[in-house]
Amino acid sequence: MYALHSMRQWNLVIAVMLLVSQSCRGQELTFETHVRPILKAHCFDCHGAEEDPKGKLDLRLVRLMVKGGESGTAIELGKPDASLFLRRIKAGEMPPGQVKVSAREIEVLEKWIAAGAKTARAEPAEIGKGLGITDEERSYWAFRPLKRPAVPQTKNPKLEARNSIDAFVLAKLQERDLAFGPEADQATLFKRAYFDLLGLPPSRDEVEDFVNDTEPDAYERVIDRLLASPHYGERWGRHWMDAAGYADSDGYSNADVDRPWAYKYRDWVIRALNDDKPIDEFIVEQLAGDEFLNGKFANLSPSDIDRLTATGFLRMVSDGTGDGSVDQDLAKNAVMAETLKMVSSSLLGLTVGCAQCHDHRYDPISQVDYYRMRAIFEPSLNWKRWQGRLKTLYTDADRAASAAIEADVAKVAAEKNTKQTEYMAKALELELAKHPEDLRGKLRDAYNTPGDKRSPEQQQLLKERPSVNISPGVLYQYLPKEADELKAFDTRMDEMRAKKLVEEFLHCLAEEDGEPPPTHLFHRGDHRQPKEVIKAAMLEIATPPGQLIEFPVNDPSINSTGRRLAFAKHLVSGRDPLFPRALANRLWMHHFGRGLVGTPGDFGQLGERPTHPELLDWLALEVMSGSNTNASSPLSFKRLHRLLMTSTVYRQSTARRPELDPVDPSNLLLGRMSVRRLEAEAMRDRVLAASGSLSNAMFGKPIAIAEDFVGQVVVNDMSRRSVYVQQKRSKPETLMRAFDAPVMECNCDKRPASTVATQSLMLMNSEFALKQAGLLAARVRLEAAAMSSKPLPFEFDPSLLPLRPGDLWQIGYGEFDGSTKRTKSFTKFAHWTGSQWQGGPIVPDPAIGYSFLNAAGGHTGNDQQHATIRRWTAPIGGTVSISGSLHHLSENGDGVRSRVVSSRTGLAAEFIAEHKTVDANIAAIEVQPGETLDFITDCRESVTSDSFAWSITIKLKGTDGKEIAWAADKGFPGLPTPPMTNQIAAAWQIAYHRPIMPTEFAAVCGFFRQQFATLSETPSIADPELQVLIDLCQALLTSNEFLYVD
Amino acid sequence: MPENFDSLRPTRRELLAKGTLGIGGVALAWLLNQENLLAVPATVKLKPQSFDLKPKQPPGEAKARAMISLFMHGGPAHMDLLDPKPELTKFNGTDYPGEVIYSFVNRASKKLLGSPWNFAKHGDCGTEVSELLPHTAQVVDDLCVIRSMHSGHNGHEVSIRYWQQGIPAVVGRPTLGAWLTYALGSESQSLPAYMVLSDPGGHPVDGVLNWSNGFMPPLFQGTVLRAQEPRILNLDPPPHLKGTLQAQNLDLLRVLNRRHLELHPGEADLEARIQSYELAARMQTAAKEALDLSQETEETQKLYGLDKDETREYGTRCLIARRLVERGVRFVQLFLGGQPWDTHTGIRTALPAICKRTDQPAAALVTDLKRRGLLDSTIVHWGGEIGRLPVTEGDPATCGRDHNGQGFSTWLAGGGIKPGMTFGETDEFGHRAVKDIVTANDFQATLLHQFGLDHLKLAFIHNGQEQTLTAKRECRVVREILA
Repeated sequence: MYALHSMRQWNLVIAVMLLVSQSCRGQELTFETHVRPILKAHCFDCHGAEEDPKGKLDLRLVRLMVKGGESGTAIELGKPDASLFLRRIKAGEMPPGQVKVSAREIEVLEKWIAAGAKTARAEPAEIGKGLGITDEERSYWAFRPLKRPAVPQTKNPKLEARNSIDAFVLAKLQERDLAFGPEADQATLFKRAYFDLLGLPPSRDEVEDFVNDTEPDAYERVIDRLLASPHYGERWGRHWMDAAGYADSDGYSNADVDRPWAYKYRDWVIRALNDDKPIDEFIVEQLAGDEFLNGKFANLSPSDIDRLTATGFLRMVSDGTGDGSVDQDLAKNAVMAETLKMVSSSLLGLTVGCAQCHDHRYDPISQVDYYRMRAIFEPSLNWKRWQGRLKTLYTDADRAASAAIEADVAKVAAEKNTKQTEYMAKALELELAKHPEDLRGKLRDAYNTPGDKRSPEQQQLLKERPSVNISPGVLYQYLPKEADELKAFDTRMDEMRAKKLVEEFLHCLAEEDGEPPPTHLFHRGDHRQPKEVIKAAMLEIATPPGQLIEFPVNDPSINSTGRRLAFAKHLVSGRDPLFPRALANRLWMHHFGRGLVGTPGDFGQLGERPTHPELLDWLALEVMSGSNTNASSPLSFKRLHRLLMTSTVYRQSTARRPELDPVDPSNLLLGRMSVRRLEAEAMRDRVLAASGSLSNAMFGKPIAIAEDFVGQVVVNDMSRRSVYVQQKRSKPETLMRAFDAPVMECNCDKRPASTVATQSLMLMNSEFALKQAGLLAARVRLEAAAMSSKPLPFEFDPSLLPLRPGDLWQIGYGEFDGSTKRTKSFTKFAHWTGSQWQGGPIVPDPAIGYSFLNAAGGHTGNDQQHATIRRWTAPIGGTVSISGSLHHLSENGDGVRSRVVSSRTGLAAEFIAEHKTVDANIAAIEVQPGETLDFITDCRESVTSDSFAWSITIKLKGTDGKEIAWAADKGFPGLPTPPMTNQIAAAWQIAYHRPIMPTEFAAVCGFFRQQFATLSETPSIADPELQVLIDLCQALLTSNEFLYVD
Repeated sequence: MPENFDSLRPTRRELLAKGTLGIGGVALAWLLNQENLLAVPATVKLKPQSFDLKPKQPPGEAKARAMISLFMHGGPAHMDLLDPKPELTKFNGTDYPGEVIYSFVNRASKKLLGSPWNFAKHGDCGTEVSELLPHTAQVVDDLCVIRSMHSGHNGHEVSIRYWQQGIPAVVGRPTLGAWLTYALGSESQSLPAYMVLSDPGGHPVDGVLNWSNGFMPPLFQGTVLRAQEPRILNLDPPPHLKGTLQAQNLDLLRVLNRRHLELHPGEADLEARIQSYELAARMQTAAKEALDLSQETEETQKLYGLDKDETREYGTRCLIARRLVERGVRFVQLFLGGQPWDTHTGIRTALPAICKRTDQPAAALVTDLKRRGLLDSTIVHWGGEIGRLPVTEGDPATCGRDHNGQGFSTWLAGGGIKPGMTFGETDEFGHRAVKDIVTANDFQATLLHQFGLDHLKLAFIHNGQEQTLTAKRECRVVREILA
């Protein structure tokens, strides 16, 4: 089966199956409903859309079909076999080309002719040019005028429906005897709200505050707080950037020229959303902000800058006009075509692109409509008089100030020049003094003659004596003081220039004053074949019949044509049916993971139908209303977020339910919330937030990408949110691209959420994942240290906790008592250097002298009271065997003496190493749990040259026969780390924002035990305890609970 | 059935109410009459689109299961390699009698350049091959040489995009490999379905676009094997985790994910992610194994030229390609860095050099696949996006040939392509394809056909538009070359 190959095919198949079955039920096939769509898809291009139909056959009306063309009548009523039209289709002769009418479509045509080729009503007496728009097309859901639907009455409304949104959703559920699912628990809702509104996890304090907030409106207040957060704009700005096709480079050709100032638009979007700029202003400024400036794009005021920056929206599509090597006319027209695509899919929810060459085959969008829309943008994207994309932020005053500074600099430069000339002449004389006297004059002349004017003789002379050819760069070799003096001039000039205001630019669209260019319909979309002139107007289907909404040719009240301004104002006027639905759907999609219409960029025939059309209309009207009570209050995005997020629909749990799942596995009825994978940026941001890398810095130049040695595109600066990472069309950042961040070919309506093994390899093995896991581990240790001594919310069996390698070892100094054969004293060293323990920051320590220990060995103290001691505590009883060697490193002194002393049985062995290595093995010592073995090393008689190395491996055979091994170097403890329970609890809090559960705790303990065992045999890892924590952190960062949101 | 939403049913109330704009009396009356017809929407989709690499049966009969494309981009000089032109030799040094379509007009000349190399008939089929390709000549009975390829454009990028993605010059579209992977999934559960073998000389012209998933999900993009070890990015665990430690890490991850899944029963996405880690873990060993050429006998290694400096690199990649398709990889493509076929100057030395590098490995691939019984189900493709002109470019002493998108040669073997034949012709000098022209779209349609796919029906909906590899451009399956 072609499972997903052909949505269109699939749609048509369903539609046709439906029609066939209906006709079988005796329902009549009519031209308008059943036949015309087939003809529109396959035939009208040549037989109806244009003025001279091929073969004089016009198929737009049944009577014209009967009338026929050059080959005679096309259809014989009631006789499919005799109908030429059908015969040629069935023979595959028509339509020409590869796309043929399907068997099912032919079946419809056949049955329709057989039944007498009926129409739904009398055909009009007159038919104008083109295909026109039929009543059937006008009644299509997306084109109907917006009208506030009645809020449905639902059973038990009080219990389940908090607001009108709920009533619409619940009504549909109740039609199927379903109801809302249970509300998600508070913690889940809390996290959902964070990722939804900020794309960031909550901080630990925020989690705590929320947990402690028992007021009934705690959740609502969280929403208010999040909407006030500056990170809200970053999150929702990113959504809008998808729709706008934001990029920091031009794309189009391989050159993919950078757009160094596009970020100003990105920052505008973030600020606008944070400021809750009214929706109508948000749209109007992006489409026509420049038109408020009345053609004056210099000496910009702050509000001018704001409005002009907004038009960056219309400069976001790929653009080849910055690459001199491409056909410029083609590139300019491509910018226009791409802009129309972007504007229509993001703001109108329609694809108009195909109407560039011919009438849209499925939707009632004619080629004329396309050029009406083009005419709106023609004055600003005029391919015959192309306007630059950058406008300076320098005012005349800035420029004058800058020029004044340059003038001052020039004075200093002149001063420097004079001095330099003087010093160089002096230096030349010093140099010439090194050459024969008779040559000096000639050499001087040669040097002072400009390079291109030197005679061959002079050239030869200088070639032979190159040292004469001195430059200012070597002045210091002759006159160091003077050279410094000149250098000071440079510093001074640099300082002066530093006071200049840096010139910045806006990447924007600014329509210049001038005669507005005509917009021609291009034959087959080819700009080299212009046809009739078309006036700017709204798509006909989106306007009342017979009342085309035209935009001014040239608004006399302002210095630009006013076309975009009029278009933008129309979109937000409440009279347009397209924009409010498109925006409402977009908001819904980002909150719920799927739009009420599943194809946000295409509400047409090839798109999907709304699951809740009345709700969509209701919400579309909410978009255009200031508030429930006051229609004149500003149109607010934040109000809409609050409305959606406080609904019962939104608060549901994600749990699938037995009564719901079989009926609605894809959750189209919204009887639960959907589990969603974090988008690429949110995922990366969450990792950076967890590891403690992320700063709160906002705005500014894009964070540079770089290519690593294998060609992966990476971001070296880990401190900034992903929305600020440079978006280069040809070089998408590898990690985010792998997680479906869009490559802005044009813009992005909807992101897929892919699941592939290469993503997993990335999370398992990439430098990014490993580095972030390491940073998280460091943070976990820090936070674990500050946690209470009882970090787990449940009781647990302490024997679950594995022993850490360092737990068994204590490092210090003391004295062996020769008479009792026991350790007389033991004191832990007080100072840790990062690799060794010693008495204080400096060796020798004033109190304990040279005594220190590190993983491999150390240095004995100056006397018997300061011998080094490694103390090992037996965790269980059994038989210990010890293997190793004692190495005295120096050729001087009398070597060192090492003893192994049990706390229970006293001296077990003694080894002496003098300028050599000796084996230090003990076959068997019985130990009891808690008994200690001290590994004591002293200096013997002589107090010099007492560095040593002592490798010790302890093997303990327990009473159960199992053998465990410890190596002293592996277990060498540094500063004490926080208790393992604290570390585990902290890891869970940071990564998951919740306490660890007992089963998870048991699993982690088991994991640690395994890893410690493995690591005891892995010599390359110096700090096993840190490694297991990093590994745990990596698992958390790459787990489903981290990547998906409930 | 969940699709039966009444979402389109307008309420009577709604219809009768006066809208702010109104939709006209006729429409309203019509709506009232037709309410029932609109009651059932056609296309509320049942499931969100989800994509996977599970093996899929093609709708048609499939001759081929896998493909290895030796993409000789840059423009191999067909009249010096696979398309003998005695007239060109005869009129060497005289003017081409007609219009020449050049790329580099400033270096252009109309002087015909007869091939400096001799051709001879080979094999039972007697196909003529140049002395520059002695190994290819040995396997000519297994090849279908097409001498009438046509791009229509001289530029590299323009034609490469046409060849790889279906429309000249247009970027942002999925490649042939992506389409095959999308349509057929993968037969290997431990290796990516679509793999790219890049050249030590760097990325080909047009870079990563050559294995782009375009508007499809990244699932279908080519996985690039690097030109040197390690050949797969992020495939190797970091040295300190390799082996038991990483296995333990993945075990822990699975425990965490399973527990999470238990709290989310029925969430296919979560299950899929768990599986993707398992595939990734398998890839670490499977891909390692697939790339381990020490398992090959010395004889096989020599067959591919691994024992010689000039053939070792390309031979290694050809051998890897065979090992990959042997293990179920769907599509493998080899590229060249630094445009070695783009012989604008010094063709007398440059062309023999690149032939020496690639001739033996390419022929070995055919031989080796055949003796292992894999050639029947594997298409091997050798060819570029353009050819070269029959006239000289530049100073005659160090001359080369300019780009030629009007006619050139390519060969196919295996996968149900008719062996031992030639197809199509260029004019007597080799400038323009004149008989049985094969365009990039024809070529693509034919390849898809061999995989049991129909270039008109294999479609992907992108932003509401139905997209196909051949973009609904005029083209045909070239049935004459099918066995």
